[in-house]
Amino acid sequence: MTQTRRSFLKTSLAASTALALPIPAFAQDGVLNVALIVPSPAADVGWSHTLELGTKALEAEYGDKIKVTLLENIAEGPDGDRIMNKTVADGNTFLILGSFGYMNGGLKLAKAHPEVSILHASGYQVAPNFSPFGARYYQGTYLMGMAAASLTKSKKLGCVGAFAIPELITSINAFTLGAQSVDPSIEISVVWVNSWFDPASEQEAAKALLAQGCDVVFSNAQDTPSVVAACEEAGAYVFNLNSSMKTYAPKKYLGVVGTDWAPFFKASVAAHLAGTFAGSSAWLGMADNCVFVADWNPDIAPEMAAKIEAVHATLLDGSFSPFTGPLTNQDGAEAVAADVTLGDDAILSMDWHVKGVTTPLPK
Amino acid sequence: MSISFTRRAKASRVAMLLAPVVAFCCAIVASVILFTALGKSPGQALYSLLLEPFLSWYNFSEVLLKMAPLLLIAQGLAIGFRANVFNIGAEGQLIIGAIAASALPVWYPMGDSAWMLPAMLVMGAGAGMAWAGIAALFRTRFNANEILVTLMLSLIAAQVLNYLLLGPWKDPNGFNFPQSVMFPDAALLPILLPGTRVNVSLLLALIASVLAYVLMRHRFSGFQLLVGGLAPRAARYAGFSETRAIWMSLLLGGLAAGLAGASEVAGPLGQLQRSVSTGYGYSAIIVAYLGGLNPLGIVISAFVMSVIYIGGDNAMVSADLPVAAVWVFQGLLLCFYLAGLTFIRHKVTWIRRKVAP
Repeated sequence: MTQTRRSFLKTSLAASTALALPIPAFAQDGVLNVALIVPSPAADVGWSHTLELGTKALEAEYGDKIKVTLLENIAEGPDGDRIMNKTVADGNTFLILGSFGYMNGGLKLAKAHPEVSILHASGYQVAPNFSPFGARYYQGTYLMGMAAASLTKSKKLGCVGAFAIPELITSINAFTLGAQSVDPSIEISVVWVNSWFDPASEQEAAKALLAQGCDVVFSNAQDTPSVVAACEEAGAYVFNLNSSMKTYAPKKYLGVVGTDWAPFFKASVAAHLAGTFAGSSAWLGMADNCVFVADWNPDIAPEMAAKIEAVHATLLDGSFSPFTGPLTNQDGAEAVAADVTLGDDAILSMDWHVKGVTTPLPK
Repeated sequence: MSISFTRRAKASRVAMLLAPVVAFCCAIVASVILFTALGKSPGQALYSLLLEPFLSWYNFSEVLLKMAPLLLIAQGLAIGFRANVFNIGAEGQLIIGAIAASALPVWYPMGDSAWMLPAMLVMGAGAGMAWAGIAALFRTRFNANEILVTLMLSLIAAQVLNYLLLGPWKDPNGFNFPQSVMFPDAALLPILLPGTRVNVSLLLALIASVLAYVLMRHRFSGFQLLVGGLAPRAARYAGFSETRAIWMSLLLGGLAAGLAGASEVAGPLGQLQRSVSTGYGYSAIIVAYLGGLNPLGIVISAFVMSVIYIGGDNAMVSADLPVAAVWVFQGLLLCFYLAGLTFIRHKVTWIRRKVAP
């Protein structure tokens, strides 16, 4: 947007009076102001990037009737809370909070401003104008597990994980189950880096896994191509979440479990504008056109690709869930009985690894 | 040809006072060029950066909120810096202070004793002191450089925090997310200015500033400290102890940082979480130097830095500035100021080398 002197004066005026006067959704010339707040830099790849792509789709749909402000690298905590408050004071009435850590501040804000609608990533709190959202990555990682099992020679797979939260644990478990569906003897090691964005540690973790003999690595929730690049260099297959990093591993890129937030964002904004936004937990998968798999490596044998495609179809139509019993946990105890399929609540709060994951979960 | 810097015997007082103002103007000019090159309106950007923090009570209160930990830590650090004891690890002391203070509400999440909060503050301050004390011990016993030790201890502190949040202190109902339970009301600092998030920690920081001033100006021990650090040999002849200067510098710095950490978890955070500090421990080093290591100067510099932080956040929201541009503005300000100081403190001469025949 180009700033003229008039628009400067107007925004200044709006900003200075913003706290005194609540600004309705269409305060400025019928424009909906949307703010996207993310914890890491919105680079060319990764989680923040896909959220940004989702808002780009909003801009494409609404044109000059929408203004999206991207706020990147915002620390969770008091700073994040202040910035959220500021966006609302500035007249943004639709907020997308791109990290779990914004939950408490976002919830307070939602309660204080019923006219504002908020989407919050990876959380579990719901309010009438506050919807948590997340992706069923596990559907995609199951397929990646099948592909990995068909390519591994060492029968050892690795995973670099950001935080040991249920979302990432389920991804690893489904990856393991997918691999075991092809070859039950496969084992998986996990290294947690405890950061969403730490290229150096991520690369170190990847190298540690490669040194242990892992020849397919899962880059679980990294916003940088650090793990992907390290694996390409070492000649190990690698896949990641959210957006394709094929350019960083032209030979050894196994594929991507991608996310497309555009349909969900569009539907939510439409509901907000229609006044029908109702807070609910949106946990989106392949059937919602949110999670997808792409950029498969040509090394995957055609028969295997056909098998993967068959399972893909059952995930899409909802006839199959990776978390269907009998499942055994790491300690060898029965975790899910035969013919029982875990419900969303059980998957969303998963705090155990399936058998085959050799690294114990941090407790 | 070469340039030589020779230290002036006495820096001009007027120039010292003018330096921040000139640096400020230079930073503004440079950033106007930068913002224009980025295609952003420099007017709007500077408005949000520098004016908006003053234009509403809410924004101004946020400046004060941010100022409290910066001021407190910077006052503690400056005591050491004046004595040439470089505690670079206030960030770690802050984290350890926050952890120690959190122990009580984590163990007694339903606690409602009036003693909880004071105990938390004492534990936070004590733990910060102890953490810095490790560096003091290493320096005095093994002559280990305190810059390295304090910095390394910060990394360890961050891992201790990670361990606790991912393990024993994790909120049992928090879906494995790395954060503690929300603290009970008895563990929260009272709000100082109603309707804002500004809490009593601002008062603590101001009291610390007064104490730091008294220590520097009116106490013999302050002088001993200064000499002990600046001229250890002279201090020894005079009977002052270098060891004592090191211990005192690090302990006071750790105390202030630990207290700031405790105030953060008991203040705006209300729980122990990973982002317990957004780099306050490092920013406070800048604040201490911008304030000329003078307790009064530090009050001003802590305020100015907070304005720039809050303004920077505002500029991202309102003026559409990328976060990097905000950091560049903050960096420019420091660069110009430090460059200015160099010229004030040193005499610059150009030496033209004769070309050999």
